[in-house]
Amino acid sequence: MTSAVLQAINGVSLAALLFLLASGFTLSFGLMRVVNMAHGAYYLFGGYIGLTLAEKTGSFAVAIVGGGAAVVVIGFLIDRFLIRRTGENHLAQVLLTVGVAFVIGDVALALWGGDNLKVQAPAFLRGAVVLPGEIYYPMYRFVLIFFGVFVGALLWLLYHRTQLGAVVRAGVDDREQVNATGINVDRLFVMVSGLASFLAGMAGVVGGAFLTLYPGAEWEILVYALVVVIVGGLGSLEGAMIGALIVGLLDAYGRWLLPEFSYFVLFGPIALLMLFRPRGLFGREH
Amino acid sequence: MDHARIVFGLVALAAALALPYYAGPFWTGLATQMLIFGLLALSVDLLLGHAGLFSLTHASFFAVSAYTVAILQVRYGVSTALAAPAGICAGTLLALVFGLAVRTRGVYFILITIAFGFVVWGVAHRWSSFTGGDNGVTNVPFPALGGLAVTSHTQYYYLVLAAVVACGLGYRVLIRSPFGLGLRGIKASESRMRSLGFRTGLHLYAAFVLSGALASFAGVLYVYYNKFVNPVAASFPISVEAALMAIIGGTGTIIGPFIGSGIVLGLRNWVSSFFELHLAVMGAVFIAAVLWAPDGLVGLAGRLRARMERAKEAGRP
Amino acid sequence: MSAAALEVSALAKVFGGLAAVNGVELTVPAGERRVLIGPNGAGKTTLFHCITGTLAPSSGTIALFGRDVTRLPEHRRTALGMGRTFQITNVFPELTMAENLALAILGTDRRKWVMHRSLAAFAAVRRQALEGLERVGLAGRADEPVKRVSYGERRQLELALALNTSPKVLFLDEPCAGLSPAERQRISRMIAGLPRDITLLMIEHDMDVALGLADRVTVLHQGRVILEGTPDEVRANSEVRDVYFGHA
Repeated sequence: MTSAVLQAINGVSLAALLFLLASGFTLSFGLMRVVNMAHGAYYLFGGYIGLTLAEKTGSFAVAIVGGGAAVVVIGFLIDRFLIRRTGENHLAQVLLTVGVAFVIGDVALALWGGDNLKVQAPAFLRGAVVLPGEIYYPMYRFVLIFFGVFVGALLWLLYHRTQLGAVVRAGVDDREQVNATGINVDRLFVMVSGLASFLAGMAGVVGGAFLTLYPGAEWEILVYALVVVIVGGLGSLEGAMIGALIVGLLDAYGRWLLPEFSYFVLFGPIALLMLFRPRGLFGREH
Repeated sequence: MDHARIVFGLVALAAALALPYYAGPFWTGLATQMLIFGLLALSVDLLLGHAGLFSLTHASFFAVSAYTVAILQVRYGVSTALAAPAGICAGTLLALVFGLAVRTRGVYFILITIAFGFVVWGVAHRWSSFTGGDNGVTNVPFPALGGLAVTSHTQYYYLVLAAVVACGLGYRVLIRSPFGLGLRGIKASESRMRSLGFRTGLHLYAAFVLSGALASFAGVLYVYYNKFVNPVAASFPISVEAALMAIIGGTGTIIGPFIGSGIVLGLRNWVSSFFELHLAVMGAVFIAAVLWAPDGLVGLAGRLRARMERAKEAGRP
Repeated sequence: MSAAALEVSALAKVFGGLAAVNGVELTVPAGERRVLIGPNGAGKTTLFHCITGTLAPSSGTIALFGRDVTRLPEHRRTALGMGRTFQITNVFPELTMAENLALAILGTDRRKWVMHRSLAAFAAVRRQALEGLERVGLAGRADEPVKRVSYGERRQLELALALNTSPKVLFLDEPCAGLSPAERQRISRMIAGLPRDITLLMIEHDMDVALGLADRVTVLHQGRVILEGTPDEVRANSEVRDVYFGHA
């Protein structure tokens, strides 16, 4: 019984991390129709930058902001000089951004080496928290849940309660509408893709403190994020929340009950979903 | 087929047949790989170039069939006559399941096939009691059929060459058949195809399974060449590279994927001899291919030829 | 009396709360030529989409020669004898004219599943494709890629595709859209010359073309049928003049 509860908490805290990554992916698809497969590489790169910053400054907060900011810069350049040139050709976008991810991954390997590296969490987040029922749980992963909820709430407010969010939502529904409002679409796109990049880089630092960083981590985490958006529906923030929870919990229980087939446990629901709702729970025609 | 193409084909075939005599074992080995991965790229291109579906899970069929052959031959001592067909069957069965992805189109199809690909990689990687984990299955022998056994890499090269030529001819019939025309119709306008009476979902599903079977066959050829198989065969980069080969060479053609495979493998071999970051170089090739040669080299050649013809016509008084 | 070629009852299609088609009743006897008219946004094309299966209706039923086809997928309806053209030209630009026709011929034929023989081996399909092209005035262009032919010729091809699925009921969605007056005349003559045993439903904006071809006319307005009658009755009706000609 205790293990089942533990796995539930594990699942929810993984969900919090996946949401950070998937929300950016899904928003940049929703608004700009961009499929950015380099999102996983952004995660890894942000994590490595954060790792170095944490070692140099000893501050986890600096690591998070610095990791996110570094990815914003790189993401902006990639967006402006590469992705934009593909127009709305998804096939070209996928190939191009996979290429970008290979380059980033390989450069990161050259800079940080091939070992598993762990971002140093701040002192007050180390150790364990005692939950009701004498359950000991790592403090860091427990707090991560609240962090995920916090970021989720911020994004939700931004999306549903601000002018910027209203424009983005209108753009997700119908891009012509945004052009018609006279808003500077270019600047809007830069802002949203900057936000997505920041979330990915920050997720790398946050995730690097418990999942560790290593070559190949970018693809593993990306696939989880992809499953989240497939389940939730591309372009939907709520879908990313629900999808992250489903994927996080399935993964935790899968690893616990069927360690060798945990990917299969994830795959089952996608297959079922595809039969009945090919566009995910909250997906729309695109 | 016009005369120039027949002549070109015969010359290429003669060059391929004579290759082991003038090129030595290194190049023969590279040529074998080129043919095998070209076949994988050709299977990807049945969907990409003809049906307009971009699959990133073809390494799955390739690897499942390679694993099946390796495990049957090495662990259970099953003969090639049974192991090779079993490999193709296993890969094709997987394609029957993964073919569900044709319920979706566009971005969703791409993303779902990526996720599928990782399932297979994850199983190969984690189910170590059966798949051998990261070490995979080693010591796969050369194929042998009754008294006929392949005993050298040169012989195996000829076997692969024969298999690839046979596949190429079969593929040619397929894409020119009514079924193949149907695929091109779906790529051009699926809505019109439905209104003409085509059951497009089933049509694409059939193409997906055929394409998976061809990728499985490439997997069989691969494992006998490589002598071992590990999770790398199922990994995402293999799927992407296969697509890249088709695109670089030129989608919708038969020769294109093989040219693309030659370029990618040749480049990788060359680069890795002096530069450590060869994955980064491959990434740069992806980017360059998308930005500058979206129709591939065959397309590029066509464009250049058209431009030259125009220039010639313009030069005439 | 045998069943009508097409019987649509209480058909509705709602898009996000807005009813594009709102309780349409439509009965077309076999062999009749019916023209649908109505101002822009009246729901004519949406109605076509629902009848031929491109869109699933929100409610209502559709019967073809007495057989309920409401739940059948589009390709099955085509197999049962529905053929259609699209308002926005929907042909295969990458293929040749003859290949386009071959797809129309194969669509309702089991030979579409043949994988082991080249299409070139099917002489009958080729012959039928050439005949089909000739019938719409495209003889001699068979091996031209469609992306290289003119817009007018594509509209002719659009019609040829629908005619070669061996339709019993033909749905033409503004076959003359975007054509020059001379081309319009040619296409309408072609349509007028179709065999009378093909039941015809046509959306048309040009009143002269519409009223010249029609046995009966149905007027659609805001997703509803507001009038059905002979061309003369429609011409004389004041309500039609208000909603239709008033907007013109």
